[in-house]
Amino acid sequence: MERKEVLEILRDILAKVLKRPGIQLDYGMSADDVEGWDSLTNMMIISETEKHFHIHFKMRDIIRMKTIGDMCDIIIQKQK
Amino acid sequence: MEFLSIPFAVCMTITFILYYLRRSRRWQHCILLAASAVFIGYYHLAYLIVAAGVTLFTFFAGKWIHKYPDTKKGTLILWTSIIALAGFWLIARYWSPLFPLGISFYTFQALSYLIEIFWEEEEPEDDFWDFALYMMLFMKFLSGPIERGRDMLPQLKTAKPFSYRQVTRGLKLVAWGVFLKLVIADRIAPSLNMVLDNVRIASGMQLLTATLLYPIQLYADFAGYTAMAIGFGRMAGFEFHPNFNRPFVSQSTGELWRRWHMTLSFWVRDYVFTPLDATLRRYGKKGLYISLLVTFIAIGVWHGAGWTFALYGLFQGIVIIYETLTKKARQRAKKRIGEKTWKLIMIIRTYLLFALSLLFFRVGKISDVFYVYRHLFDGFNDSIKELRLGMSDFYWIVFGIATVIMFILEYLNSRHSLINWTEHLKAPVRWILYAGIAVIIFLFGAFGVENFIYIQF
Repeated sequence: MERKEVLEILRDILAKVLKRPGIQLDYGMSADDVEGWDSLTNMMIISETEKHFHIHFKMRDIIRMKTIGDMCDIIIQKQK
Repeated sequence: MEFLSIPFAVCMTITFILYYLRRSRRWQHCILLAASAVFIGYYHLAYLIVAAGVTLFTFFAGKWIHKYPDTKKGTLILWTSIIALAGFWLIARYWSPLFPLGISFYTFQALSYLIEIFWEEEEPEDDFWDFALYMMLFMKFLSGPIERGRDMLPQLKTAKPFSYRQVTRGLKLVAWGVFLKLVIADRIAPSLNMVLDNVRIASGMQLLTATLLYPIQLYADFAGYTAMAIGFGRMAGFEFHPNFNRPFVSQSTGELWRRWHMTLSFWVRDYVFTPLDATLRRYGKKGLYISLLVTFIAIGVWHGAGWTFALYGLFQGIVIIYETLTKKARQRAKKRIGEKTWKLIMIIRTYLLFALSLLFFRVGKISDVFYVYRHLFDGFNDSIKELRLGMSDFYWIVFGIATVIMFILEYLNSRHSLINWTEHLKAPVRWILYAGIAVIIFLFGAFGVENFIYIQF
């Protein structure tokens, strides 16, 4: 799967979980840059992402996700 | 050795003169380590031995964990180390006749250091003396701020040149801390102690007044300590994290915990809440709520043994879960009422809930806390004398004005740094201002009242 494709899917997941249909994402953004993405919604986003891509993140994967770009890379890596 | 004592002032002065005598990293570290050893050992030699033991253990455990990245053996070493450190802390906290000061704070530093190495977010430190300073630096030893290795250790890699600006900036923070502690916290402390230590003989009006003012006493006490710790650190060229960010403007309990004792809140968020929430994520919102409750109960029992502290944490957890559940309804109410009025109502509501929850923290027995709840509004027929809580009108005025000054200065500082502002004043005006602050502290401060509240944790 291409990075751009993963980004699009992540955008849909965040829009659904955070209830913000028009949300815009780019690779450099972190949770701090996305309104509503805080410690309370973080695991819901992680969980939805896992369900969608049929993958499982380890704790150290979650810790490494500093930006949306990191998240895309880890998802692609997990899918291989 | 207390911050506000002659031995500390003497020790601090000697330390700083020697510290800046030579611009050599080794020299400066020797001076700081010696000063930290004197500072800790002055209380009790056993405290120094325990702190040194925990430091040694953590240093070598970190190196060992690093050898086995992402393996079962690495996980086993990490968990053994966590159990050893937390177990030792538990024994010292609850079953030992001697509770080593600062242990709750440096144990948290040790745990975060090991977990970060395990997560491969941090490399283990090679220099034992730098690591010992990270753990035992006297300015932050007693009650934090709880620093992370990745923020603190790099600061120890260079010698610190003397900087007049840095030292005066530190001194200004120390002065602010002394003001908070002596003119606000210690001024009101005897009156609040009189009521909160004897709730069953206090009148309703006294209970209400003490309940409403205790958050201010606790805040001025701990924020005062933290300002001094950060100020002393800055005088030696170090930057510590702040612990408070105007907590009483919070519009929700969730926000309050992002502004109150921040280094503890963020520590618990990163090393308790997030891993727990990650483990329970398949249970969706239920998992989130369980994680929140466990996290806040953990914060509660970190403060002390007994059900009162657990209930203090549980209170916070329940309110935050309620806030999460009612987020939409509250948004609708905000639109209906108008943003400014809503903000004011929420600030007052958050403060009141916090004040009520702090009774679990302050009053010794659960039955006494509920006694206070039942009798809070009994006092409207009491005479105005009841309100004084044994303090003279003059000192009530001093306390009131000082508290208002605290809130105004914190507001102004949130917009533009007041320390920067003082640096742009002309020298005579600046020195008159400093002298004025010193006179205010000496005239209106309550000297020799009590030690910092958080020293017991």
